[in-house]
Amino acid sequence: MSDTQLLERIKANPSEFSELFTLYYRPIFGYVLRRTGNFDDTADIAAETFYHAFTHIKSFSYRGIAIKVWLYRIATNEVNLYFRHRKRHASLVDRIDSGNRVQFEACLQDDRKELEEELQKHEEFLFVRKQMMSLPLRYQEVISLRYFEGKSNREIAEILDINEGTIKSLLSRGLGRLREKCDVPGANDAGRGAIR
Amino acid sequence: MTAFEETLARMTTPEVPQLKHQALLADAISRGKSKSALSFWWMSIPLYVIAMLFMKSAYVRDSTLRSNLHEFFTRERYVAPLLFVVAPVILILINAASIRRIHFLSGSPGPATLLRIAWSNVAVIIVSATILIIYFL
Repeated sequence: MSDTQLLERIKANPSEFSELFTLYYRPIFGYVLRRTGNFDDTADIAAETFYHAFTHIKSFSYRGIAIKVWLYRIATNEVNLYFRHRKRHASLVDRIDSGNRVQFEACLQDDRKELEEELQKHEEFLFVRKQMMSLPLRYQEVISLRYFEGKSNREIAEILDINEGTIKSLLSRGLGRLREKCDVPGANDAGRGAIR
Repeated sequence: MTAFEETLARMTTPEVPQLKHQALLADAISRGKSKSALSFWWMSIPLYVIAMLFMKSAYVRDSTLRSNLHEFFTRERYVAPLLFVVAPVILILINAASIRRIHFLSGSPGPATLLRIAWSNVAVIIVSATILIIYFL
């Protein structure tokens, strides 16, 4: 099913929005998790991203950008807000009606446990992410999209809505600064040996 | 590509498995839609009747909106309470529940933000309350 068809179906019947969850919730959740490194903040930001998409789906007209790109764009803005202002998102659990809350909390607890274990398996990634956190947000965006999400320069340009030349330049400068951070003698974490 | 870039490209990153909370969240968000289109359709009938009776009072000598409404309510003993009492009360309840759900889903925002998000539900409640008041006046 094409994006246009999916959009039309959601506009006609809002319950079809769950199809968007099936297709894109995991990739977006993963992207936010790899940026924040924290399960609870990721859950809140991902929920905010999809709620924003749900409330603005009627004003989103298909103009050459895919729904996935649009969702990445919203998620990137939400993550940036989180880093810039440490904006407190409403807790994910508080968004759920009291009827389903117990079941929801149990599911969330299982997901948290599984993902926290998964995070700990990737020492090299945790080390790089820690060093990346001290870089300006513009560099964090492009480096994470390129190396954590495996996006091409063209895809990154679409998501961040800037031209490919700027992406190349940001990547080059960002990588230079990240390499310096990873080489600093004080940055002696477990992942450092592997990354050098 | 430098050795550093190669290392980054080779680096493994945490993968997200099937998330258990996903379906419940999708359901909660999908149900957060207001029923405003349906609400407006149901409200349009009593509003049409009121507008029609208002025009009658404007063009027919010695008749007022109040007397025309009273005449209509007396003549339509079963339809009038359905349109002017039952439907507005149901709409008020549905939209109040919808506002409550939107309030939760949008992360319990302040009154101004909530009003911006759920303005159509608030409008339906106000118009429904007005129809009720007109009936009991």
